[in-house]
Amino acid sequence: MTVHAFLLLAAALFALGLFGALTKRNTVIVLICIELMLNAVNLNLVAFSKFGVNPAITGQIFSLFSITVAAAEAAVGLAILIALYRNKATVQVEDMNEMKG
Amino acid sequence: MTGEVMIFLVLATIAIFGALVMLNASKVIHMLLALVLTFLSIAGLYVMLSAEFVAVVQVLIYSGAISIMMIFGIMLTKHHHDAKERTYRSSQRGWLVGVAMVLFFGIMYVLIEGVNFGATAPDLHVENTKQIGLSLYSHYVIPFELVSIVLLVAFIGAILLAKREEDTE
Amino acid sequence: MTQIAWIIPFFPLMTFLLCFIFQKREWHHLCSRVGIMTTGLALIGSITVLIGQMIFGNSEAVISWLSIGDTVFSIGYIVNPLNALMLVIVSLVSFLVHIYSKGYMAGEERLGTFYAYLGFFTFAMLALVLSPNLLQLYMFWELVGLGSFLLIGFYFHKAEARAAAKKAFLMTRVGDVGLLIGMILVFWQVGSLEFSAIFQAVSGGDMDSGMVTLVALLIFIGAVGKSGQFPLHSWLPDAMEGPTPVSALIHAATMVAAGVYLVATLFPLFEASDTAMLVVAITGAFTAIFAACIAIVQTDIKRVLAYSTVSQLGYMMLALGSAGYVAGVFHLTTHAFFKALLFLAAGSVIHAAHTQLIGEMGGLWKRMKGTGWLFLIGTLAIAGMPLFSGFFSKEEVLLAVWKEEHYVLFTLGLITAFLTAFYMFRLFFLVFMSKKIIPYKRRKKIFESPRVMILPMVVLALLAVGAGYIHTGWFGPFLGEWLASGNEYITLHPHEGAGWLMAVTTLLTFLGIWMAYLMYQKEKLDRNYLSEAFPGVYEAVLNGFFVDVLYQRTVVFATKCLGIVGTWVERYVIQGILHFIEDITILVTKLASKLQNGQVQTYGAMVGVGLVVLLLIGLMQGRFF
Repeated sequence: MTVHAFLLLAAALFALGLFGALTKRNTVIVLICIELMLNAVNLNLVAFSKFGVNPAITGQIFSLFSITVAAAEAAVGLAILIALYRNKATVQVEDMNEMKG
Repeated sequence: MTGEVMIFLVLATIAIFGALVMLNASKVIHMLLALVLTFLSIAGLYVMLSAEFVAVVQVLIYSGAISIMMIFGIMLTKHHHDAKERTYRSSQRGWLVGVAMVLFFGIMYVLIEGVNFGATAPDLHVENTKQIGLSLYSHYVIPFELVSIVLLVAFIGAILLAKREEDTE
Repeated sequence: MTQIAWIIPFFPLMTFLLCFIFQKREWHHLCSRVGIMTTGLALIGSITVLIGQMIFGNSEAVISWLSIGDTVFSIGYIVNPLNALMLVIVSLVSFLVHIYSKGYMAGEERLGTFYAYLGFFTFAMLALVLSPNLLQLYMFWELVGLGSFLLIGFYFHKAEARAAAKKAFLMTRVGDVGLLIGMILVFWQVGSLEFSAIFQAVSGGDMDSGMVTLVALLIFIGAVGKSGQFPLHSWLPDAMEGPTPVSALIHAATMVAAGVYLVATLFPLFEASDTAMLVVAITGAFTAIFAACIAIVQTDIKRVLAYSTVSQLGYMMLALGSAGYVAGVFHLTTHAFFKALLFLAAGSVIHAAHTQLIGEMGGLWKRMKGTGWLFLIGTLAIAGMPLFSGFFSKEEVLLAVWKEEHYVLFTLGLITAFLTAFYMFRLFFLVFMSKKIIPYKRRKKIFESPRVMILPMVVLALLAVGAGYIHTGWFGPFLGEWLASGNEYITLHPHEGAGWLMAVTTLLTFLGIWMAYLMYQKEKLDRNYLSEAFPGVYEAVLNGFFVDVLYQRTVVFATKCLGIVGTWVERYVIQGILHFIEDITILVTKLASKLQNGQVQTYGAMVGVGLVVLLLIGLMQGRFF
């Protein structure tokens, strides 16, 4: 087993996640797709901790931090979703265009 | 073909299958469940990479906590548009992003092919959790505390955001 | 005493400001008083300066106005005999016209505006006269043009007045362009616009003779425009659309004399070029006889006087062009007085008769004795009757031409003298003496003008008689000596009393008067004989030899064509390009604003696609940074 297989898998998952995040219309799904992208990155970190230039436990520590931050992000994202839903009664991304000038 | 490769192929196939199902499912809850499948297979991959503790955390946090939270999010909001939702195929942006992502993967493939690190860590699986604990509480203690503060702030913020506005008045 | 000269123009400027601010009806009585008072002060100042100049000699003071590199433009005043004399003429006539206007313009709705404009014009004219350099002179030259424009167009509700104002402004502008180019050439050659520097350069031979001729001719074009010389004369008769006091002040006594003044001031420059002098003389002589011919057949009292002004200005140019500096300035002085008198008297007639057409007047002598006598004095003065001022100055002019040996021009001058006497007395007989009966109702309404109008005319009449004695062959050429004393560049020609010339001019004058008497008073000669014999010629003369029609068909037509082409280019080419650019901009903007739709996902997609493109480029280049 080489590092390439893991990196390619991570790249594929990241591309799929990004695709979903940019095309899906449901805000919940967009959030989930972002989680998928974070997972792909975590996979990279862990792969590097075993096969990297300086293989060490540090990669795993980093992935732990990353998971923690992802959890925080998911919590805040969902809270914003709920708040928006309460105001606009929709979870469609295209209805959230308050930034339009 | 060794057993290791076979296990990797199975897990990788499940992960990508889960992601594809998530992108194509018509109901939100199905999408979420498909993604749980992906999360679990990634946990399996972590085990293969001598990261048992991270694998456990993955199962607990992603497959457990975040998925449950997302389900709550789905249940608390209405999804009338689920059935009517136009798929990404119908939109120009979908095609554009799709092509871009395929290209992205292609570029990544080319780049990853050229990577060669050589070294392999032999002893990560030996007392993995102890190693992480030692490292976390000696070398990374300050980032650890900072991350805990981030979590605290995020949760308080989430509570504030999600609170009903009538309560504040 | 001459140091106060700079303050003189500011008195009339005060009138302008005050009358412009307080131009409401309830202030009208104050406006005329303020105008009369300030011009009176200016007159006192001018006389003081004149006396001061006689006692203490010339004075000049300049302050630097702006400096560009090493070049310094200055502003200031200069007092020499010529402009001291002009100061007195301008402020005196202006003062008298201000008084006269109090009666003539009584009841006028915009009296405040009228006095404001008069004050403005007087200010500009006085400042023009005091200018020590061409630049300052040019600025006030344009300002008097503006004052003239405003006053000609004073009755702007009349279409003719509007057209006349525009015409005057544009035609003098044609001349001003010549003056401006001449100024620029002078500056290029001399490096300064101060009169003294120019004269030094000319006398020192710093400018080659061709350049001197060119500059002199260009400046003369400016004088032609302002002084109504042929071919830029046709605005002056039309300018009679303005109020009559204005015609007296601006279009007889002062502003139109500015061209003559300009040539006189720059006399050393002109004298250095024989060609330029000859052109000036020929233009003057031709204008004199040309305008005199037209004046014979005009039917509007003011137009007769206007053409007569053009003719007399031609005399002055003829004198200057024949090296008769003193003669030119002398005629300018006497003409200012008797022509102002004639205009004011004509104004008095118009005021009483409510018409300007000679054909509707006649026999006014009985009802307007005062005006009649004053008009007669003016007529005698301009006709060159011995002992009146016009006689001396005209004789001086002809003498200068004779001495310069321009015999053809001399003959033209003599004929003009005859014609002048003829047409002026034609006017006098037709207006005052004719036996033609005016309907009783209208005759009853004709009264003598109020004293406020008569008084200024009396003063002018005294001057019209007396002004001739400042420079005569009998009592001595005071004016000539004085003018030459203050100007090192002027050489005084010895005045040899050419008795035969006096006799000839007197004879011609009497001949003219006698013919006019026979034709219009006794009606022994058929006045219509010539016009019936040569209807084509009569028609041509009546219309000023069709000069206006010629301009209308050529210059104006060409300009209009150019304007139409320009409009077309503007509307379809330039605006087309502009619209094209505008449309492209709008198109691009609309495309760009479609991207700015507020959808985060679109922005994200852009970022993602952009990243992929960058990565692709990096991959192709083989490096990522």
